[in-house]
Amino acid sequence: MRMLSAALTLVLLAAGSARAADSCDVPNNLVETFARLPRVGFSVKRDHKLEIVVLSAAPKLSGEASNLKSYPYYLESELRERLKGTDVHVFGQSEPRKTIIEVIKDLPRLLAERQPVLVVWQTGTVEAMRGIDPDGYGRALDSGVAALQNGGADVVLINQQFSPRTDFMFDGGPYTENMRWVSQTRDIPLFNRYEVMKYWGETGAFDLTALKNDGTYEKVHRCIGRLIADLVMRAASLSGTVER
Amino acid sequence: MLPPPPAGRDLRLDFFRGLSLWFIFLDHVPSNIVSWFTIRNYGFSDASEVFVFISGYTAAFVYGRVMKERGFIIGAARILKRAWQIYVAFVFLLVFYFAEIAYVSSHFSNPLYTEEFGIFDFFQKPDVVLIEALMLRFLPANVDVLPLYIALMMFFPPVLWLMLRQPDLTLLLSIVFYFLAKAFDWNLVLYPYDHSWFFNPFAWQLLFVIGSWCALGGARRISPILYSRPVIALCMIYLVLAAPLQLSWLFPSLTGRMPGWLMILPLDKTGLSPWRLFHFLALAAVVIYYVPFDAKFLRSNWARPLILCGEHSLEIFCLGVFLSFSAHFVLTEISSLIAMQIAVSLAGIAVMVTVAALMTWYKDIERRGGKPPPSATQEGFEGVTAS
Repeated sequence: MRMLSAALTLVLLAAGSARAADSCDVPNNLVETFARLPRVGFSVKRDHKLEIVVLSAAPKLSGEASNLKSYPYYLESELRERLKGTDVHVFGQSEPRKTIIEVIKDLPRLLAERQPVLVVWQTGTVEAMRGIDPDGYGRALDSGVAALQNGGADVVLINQQFSPRTDFMFDGGPYTENMRWVSQTRDIPLFNRYEVMKYWGETGAFDLTALKNDGTYEKVHRCIGRLIADLVMRAASLSGTVER
Repeated sequence: MLPPPPAGRDLRLDFFRGLSLWFIFLDHVPSNIVSWFTIRNYGFSDASEVFVFISGYTAAFVYGRVMKERGFIIGAARILKRAWQIYVAFVFLLVFYFAEIAYVSSHFSNPLYTEEFGIFDFFQKPDVVLIEALMLRFLPANVDVLPLYIALMMFFPPVLWLMLRQPDLTLLLSIVFYFLAKAFDWNLVLYPYDHSWFFNPFAWQLLFVIGSWCALGGARRISPILYSRPVIALCMIYLVLAAPLQLSWLFPSLTGRMPGWLMILPLDKTGLSPWRLFHFLALAAVVIYYVPFDAKFLRSNWARPLILCGEHSLEIFCLGVFLSFSAHFVLTEISSLIAMQIAVSLAGIAVMVTVAALMTWYKDIERRGGKPPPSATQEGFEGVTAS
């Protein structure tokens, strides 16, 4: 076992140093997915448009921070750059501090108003902080994903981020496990934001422990936007530019 | 030089409880690479099951004897005294937890973590939170096995009373209770009232009772079955099948898609999923089969650190939680490099062993020096060992 973990560490470190050119890069196994996004591929290739909703329970930034750009913004610009000729819209829908039960109630309205082809759903943080039963969380998430799929949208799940300073206060592990269960049974991608950011923290790509904003916010969100764009392109089998 | 182990004691209990305490500490340090060595990665059950089972076993062993020799009242009084000690330990840890949260909340304003700041909302009303915490209705993460332990001990006197007379009936009632709790979703509700205990006491009582049942002769009575080759083989098969399943769950990309019929994970820890329970029982059966009561290595020097920790389980558990807070503090404030993770893990274990050795040393000094009335001292010692 010691051999295995030592080897694993070496592989991770080697992967980290070999790709130091771009601080966004992470080992493939952290962002790989076997699931597909057929509706996204179809919408881009046939209708040349891509309507995306990013759903989260994060509160809006306030004060000085309110001008900071978040990953939905970067996701949109990344996808626009890669999908020339496709009309890409990313709409950020934030339901601050709401647990999954409340968020699910809003899904039909969201589907009707936005008619998204893809819903990128970040969830789990509020539930972990409140200590909601992880099993019940998994069932609720499953019904939410079913509602979105029945409403004509592909889904990408995102788990809680890696927050080293609050890591000991609540444990997101069981919620991520339930998300993984939903992602496997429903065959949808799960973007493991926690592991990705933890990797950045451990390799020193970003300092994730800063007490105040030191510019890391936009760097991290730019990278997350880019990695999600990568994942969408791959899972929807899209190449850099789409022929018209 | 570490003090030698006491004679006549089942050192396997101390050894494996010590091991579970190390694992609990390692698992509680967030993002710790050393936690890859703990059993939770290689099977369904984890150190919590080991801890609760052995606690039930020792509680029945120690207080069962007291209750038999000196009656229900004295036995019950000792058990409740123990529950009180655990409660005090819980409050002690709570203070550390609140201190670290208060420190972080007053220094921390990075917009990257705006969502996580929600955790500080609880502290808008410190009066409510403190009172709810003292009533065991506000339970911070990582400390939650202690409230379970308190709840189990509070209800242990009548359970033990019945167990001494009708062990099999007690076990049966416990099993029925476990399934009723599952069927009707019984659990204790926590502040702010939309969630419940992470370790559901109505479910986890079963493991505690199984431990007690084993201690009071159950293990001996089923030993012909337990030691039979087919049973051990079945247990082994279960363990061997569980390991890759659990590992593949941790490395989804290495294994690819799992067939639907294998989608039993993630297992419910709150309600002690039967898969977890059977995994622990299989593990226990295999361990007992291969590690006899008088196994030589239990008396060897390298087993001593673990046995010492196991002898003072309550104190070392609390110390472990405290150390995991400290380790987390070091990892965020100084460095979170892998070398540092290994360093704080080893340092934490070294502190646990040193403190346990000091406690054993002090206990021996007390025991040898002077001659206090045997009743009083003896109780104190038993209390310590019976965690």
